[in-house]
Amino acid sequence: MSLTSIIITTHNRPKLLRRAVESAFAAGTNLEVIVVDDASTDETARVCRDLTRIKYVRVERNQRVAGARNLGLLASSGQYITFLDDDDVRFPGSLDRQIKLLETNSEAGLVYGYAILVDQSGAATNQSYPRICHQGDVLWELLAQNFIPCGTAVFRRSCLDRVGLLDQRLAGIDDWDLWVRIAELYSIMALAEPVMCWRQSTPASQQGTSAAGRIVLQSVQQFQESWKNLPRVLSASHEMKRRAWRRFSANMSAHLSYEVLRALRHRQLAQATRNLFALLRLSPAAMLRLLRINNAHSAR
Amino acid sequence: MSSVSVIIPTCNRPQLLPRAIESARAAGTDVEIIVVDDASQDKTAAVCARLSGIKYIRLERNQGVAGARNVGILASSGEFVAFLDDDDLRLPGSLDWQVATLAAAPEAGFVCGAMLIADQNYQPTGEVSAPPEMCGDVFWQLLELDFPVMPLSLVIRKQCFLSVGLLNRRIPGIDDWDILVRIAELFPAITSAEPVGIYRQPAPYSGQGSSVQSDHLACAANHQLELFELPRVKTLSKSQRQAIRRRTINRAADTLLWGAWKSLPQKNFGFAVANIATALRLNPFRAMRPAIVRRMGKTLSERLRKRNSDSSGLTSPN
Repeated sequence: MSLTSIIITTHNRPKLLRRAVESAFAAGTNLEVIVVDDASTDETARVCRDLTRIKYVRVERNQRVAGARNLGLLASSGQYITFLDDDDVRFPGSLDRQIKLLETNSEAGLVYGYAILVDQSGAATNQSYPRICHQGDVLWELLAQNFIPCGTAVFRRSCLDRVGLLDQRLAGIDDWDLWVRIAELYSIMALAEPVMCWRQSTPASQQGTSAAGRIVLQSVQQFQESWKNLPRVLSASHEMKRRAWRRFSANMSAHLSYEVLRALRHRQLAQATRNLFALLRLSPAAMLRLLRINNAHSAR
Repeated sequence: MSSVSVIIPTCNRPQLLPRAIESARAAGTDVEIIVVDDASQDKTAAVCARLSGIKYIRLERNQGVAGARNVGILASSGEFVAFLDDDDLRLPGSLDWQVATLAAAPEAGFVCGAMLIADQNYQPTGEVSAPPEMCGDVFWQLLELDFPVMPLSLVIRKQCFLSVGLLNRRIPGIDDWDILVRIAELFPAITSAEPVGIYRQPAPYSGQGSSVQSDHLACAANHQLELFELPRVKTLSKSQRQAIRRRTINRAADTLLWGAWKSLPQKNFGFAVANIATALRLNPFRAMRPAIVRRMGKTLSERLRKRNSDSSGLTSPN
């Protein structure tokens, strides 16, 4: 089995990092763990010194997630690559099982799996993501929705030589963008079992979702400016393209509506307003739907 | 494992590429040549297949120069990285001394040489773009655009990218300046006036760089504000930062006007107008100094007089 690189990017979260690193080492047999410390200003560097087996990369100037992942790629030497967030946990042996799939299917570029959703305290919820594991040529599914949890994806290093690196300016959807580019050229496989615990942010945790509005608008921009112009999408029929856009925007507005309601429930008014404005820009019609959902909610 | 990797991004220029590759091969004894084909749609792939001893990477989707260079950096195995454009040339042996210099100075981030400017047929025009010969901190000169930046004349320690990040795809044309500023903020540099490469100047009609000078400088002036977020700039007082800003904008305006003035004899009026307009936008007072206006007027009137006398002669402009 060829060498696999697990790239863990971290920024000022030394408490959680150790657990992520330990889970990474237990996930497979022939692997290297690269910790990219994205200009942390706390004791992350010291914590990493205690983790003897890792390859530690200290970035002096903050690059944000996508930039730090690219630097992890630069420091890595594995034939297979996977990213892990510093607050996530990989399941033991999961990586080996995924790589076996890649090794027996030479035309596949990427293999992913299920993620068990975990709340902020670390307790497992009864949900996992995605609900359905699409396989094979998933480009059109992937354009509608990012169903590949970042930490579960394992891909060939050689994919990057054909599609390029992560796009630094995309914060929050850099992984989605890479999956789209890979799925355009390669078939995608799934290991139908949970491979990691994925910690979900809450509106109060000031992590990820607080920027849901910004992320959605950025996705829309990326869809319009980049994904729509991928050669395979360009050459598709008008009907296909229209359908892809409809599904994409419906998913985006549903996601935003959900985030608005969730922020309201957590009494994060500023955030709810921001997301509401984003929703208004994306699809005014979705506002009406939102009111209906809300009514149904309060009636219950 | 080679010590230096030369990264050559290319897009749709198979007729020039082999010459650039050969020059890179002759530039050092232990060189890894990485050609990143940025989704060319012509016979670039076939041309590269015939060349031996290169690492050929085929990007299926266009990533732009910075994106292609990043892919090349990722694929490289050398301790040092050099960039070469597909229409430029490296001088024989130039990589060897640059690598030796950088290897002898383990704290330095990059070594920069001079380059000869050539026309479309690789004939040197006699112009040389040389950095001030020095050794140490070049951060402020770079930040103020007081340093000729050409990726062609550099050899960079690959380790530096891990500290400051890869090239920025968002700023096409000035990604090389941006990365150099960020490296120079943390690492000293070694510069020398010895020529290491030949830069093929874009012809005005090639559509390659005609109005690009004004775009790049305007973009650089804009992007400088982002670089002001670097910790070393942040420690300055407000008036010091304003002084840097003033000097940079004046320098950019002067460069643009000088470029416009030089292009007038070649009847490259579109270029001149773009340059003057950008200079005016950057700093109207500097762009309208009497000396400059007089010089421009003089050149123009000379041209016109010459053209009038020419038109009565044999020359046919068409």
